[in-house]
Amino acid sequence: MLALLKLIQSIIKTLHSAGTPGQVAAGMALGSALGLTPLMNLHNLVIFSFLVLLNVSFGGGMLGWMLFVPVGFLLDPIFDSFGLRLLTSASLRPLWTQWSNTPLLPYTNFNNTVVLGSFVAWLVLAIPIFFAARYGVAKYRATLGERVRQSRFYKAVTASQVYNWYKMFRP
Amino acid sequence: MKFQIFRWKAIGPLLLFLAIIGILVWIFAEPVAKDTTEEASTELLGTQVDLGKLDLFPRQAAVDLRALQIADPFVLTRNLLEADEIHLKLNPAALAEKKIVIEQLNLQGMRFGTTRKTPARPQKGDGFAPQVYRSVQEWTNQFNVPLLSLTPIDTVRQLVLNPGQLTTVREAQALTARTDSIRQAMEQGFQQLKIAATVDSARQLAERLSATDPKKLGLDGTRQAIESVRQTLKAIGDAKQRVQGLERNVNGGVQLLGQGLRSLEQARAKDFAFARSLLKLPTFAAPDIGSAFFGKVSIERFKQALYWAELAQKYMPPGLLPHPAPGPKRLRAAGSTIEFPKVKEFPRFLLEQGRLDFSIGGGSVVHGNYAATVRGLTSTPALYGRPAVVSAHRRAAGSAIAAIDVDAVINHLSARTHDSANARLQGVKLPSFDLPGVPFRVAPGIGSSSLTFSLRNGGAELSGRWAIQSNQVSWVADTGSRQLNDLERVVFRVVSGLKELQVVAEVTGSVKAPKLAVSSNLDQAVSQRLKAVVGEEVAKAERLARAKVDSLVADKVEPLKKQIASVQGEATQRIQSEKKRLDEVEAQLNAELKRLTGGLAPGIELPKIKL
Repeated sequence: MLALLKLIQSIIKTLHSAGTPGQVAAGMALGSALGLTPLMNLHNLVIFSFLVLLNVSFGGGMLGWMLFVPVGFLLDPIFDSFGLRLLTSASLRPLWTQWSNTPLLPYTNFNNTVVLGSFVAWLVLAIPIFFAARYGVAKYRATLGERVRQSRFYKAVTASQVYNWYKMFRP
Repeated sequence: MKFQIFRWKAIGPLLLFLAIIGILVWIFAEPVAKDTTEEASTELLGTQVDLGKLDLFPRQAAVDLRALQIADPFVLTRNLLEADEIHLKLNPAALAEKKIVIEQLNLQGMRFGTTRKTPARPQKGDGFAPQVYRSVQEWTNQFNVPLLSLTPIDTVRQLVLNPGQLTTVREAQALTARTDSIRQAMEQGFQQLKIAATVDSARQLAERLSATDPKKLGLDGTRQAIESVRQTLKAIGDAKQRVQGLERNVNGGVQLLGQGLRSLEQARAKDFAFARSLLKLPTFAAPDIGSAFFGKVSIERFKQALYWAELAQKYMPPGLLPHPAPGPKRLRAAGSTIEFPKVKEFPRFLLEQGRLDFSIGGGSVVHGNYAATVRGLTSTPALYGRPAVVSAHRRAAGSAIAAIDVDAVINHLSARTHDSANARLQGVKLPSFDLPGVPFRVAPGIGSSSLTFSLRNGGAELSGRWAIQSNQVSWVADTGSRQLNDLERVVFRVVSGLKELQVVAEVTGSVKAPKLAVSSNLDQAVSQRLKAVVGEEVAKAERLARAKVDSLVADKVEPLKKQIASVQGEATQRIQSEKKRLDEVEAQLNAELKRLTGGLAPGIELPKIKL
């Protein structure tokens, strides 16, 4: 419950933080990888590290994760068939064979149809997600943002001590 | 303001996060690996695998497994194998590629066939192993093993047969419908021939020409007449071809009807067997007795061998093509995980060498010296390049099990796979078993047993032989539930007088169509005794059953036979008649043609007529 509360808190604050819409959108584009692809995979550790180390909105990343988890579940059959098509493509077989027999690379589970399909789909969708999120955040701040900032709910959320921790990752 | 790409202050928390993950992995790696090993092995083998403890030794790239139990998939209260300790030395380079290559396996405290404290869970679901288990269970149902019926003749019931139960009646009805449709098709064929028009026109032409003097026709008239004859002869040739085509079709249809009639005879034999089974007549044909006594127990042995052979077919596929397998279980869809084998690289799984040399001392029934080797057990045999070999031997005179020799070769190097296993047990206390259909239990005592099993080309060729031999056999009649009847007493007297038992069961054919033959030294003895006691009565009852079947099918089959004969006769007659008409008119035209051309000046060549 506390974790959920923290998540909501960080997301709400993200939309009003000092981060530019571009930083929030970049965070969302990175975070969408965590939601679109199966979580317990090596590439997600790298994505998470980028989310922490790069000067993008961490809250945006969490928001992207949260928004794209259901999308990932819904699109799994498509990822499966897309990944299968890639893995069974004759022209790509030498590449997969090389990767399969290269140290550490097999631990990324790239040879799983859902992992590969969802990861490639994320690579393709990351740029559109970035631009859509940047437009959405800018629009939100220009229209609803100020009214939400004045609300009691927002003030209650930002008053929490957890906010202090969050500030460390604020862009 | 200068824009910064990196958030340097976050390095500390990130390192802390990674350190926490590292600590969690270090703490939970062994329990997670143990659970994963249990779960994966259970799914792979289709039977419950329990592991007491798993210790990882990362520096030595080694794993210790303790208290391993693999349940028998066919007897859930029994363990197929139990081992106190297994030490696995893994190849670190292969591990870096997420492959398990066991360089050396050492096993201690191995036991077979031990009783489980709690019964194993039956495997369910759509995994490969449960599917194989179900298909092997279904495979056993293909064998038509007769039950030994020893119902006394005086209890034979009145035979009540419903015509609808008889295969012959059903097949006769189907054949009647087929005969009607062939007759209709034949009629249509004759109508489409349109022979009458061709014959009439040819005849008219011949008659017209016969009334004409060729000398009065002149050159043009003669040429026209010859052309008319040529065209008519061509039409006759076409008609003949149509008749020949129809003749082929008719012959095909008639042949089909003949086959149908023959299958009716086979159906009648089946119906007779069915009627006989309703009478519950005692069986005394020697081959039936062997199958009835030992068929079921033999199939059980072959079933187990087939199960492991089928698993080997799946997990050790030939060739180097990418090989899909179900992905890992998770909340998200599992998908498929595809392996990409590469020449001169490690396979996904390989047990290079497993040696088991150990002794069990003391007065235990299993004491003795054991020696077992496993070599080349791999998920990609084409990469390893040699067949997998499993062998186990044991020598211990004086124990309940004096000698065990097991040799198995799994050769999946090419698509022409060949799996073979050979197990020989000597001086073994053979397990006792119930005889199906009769209240007898046989305890073979100490004896020898052997099983050879071979599967080639993915199950296209199957051969197996199971034999037991003992000279200490004892028989027990279960009289607790009911008294033996006269026939059962006769049989029991025969079998209980025999101290020697020899059974040989052989399975041949293919996995899809196996054939079982079982023989034993009891067959002739029991058969002769039963024949002497009840042979005449049984023959009388069999005659009754045959007469009953014949009376029920006669009114369906006899008219059908006549109908088919009529169709055959009519078809032949009409074809011949049409042929004759065409031949006659053709001869007539040819004669006229000769007459016409006889009046021409010498040296004038007529156009050649191609028919």
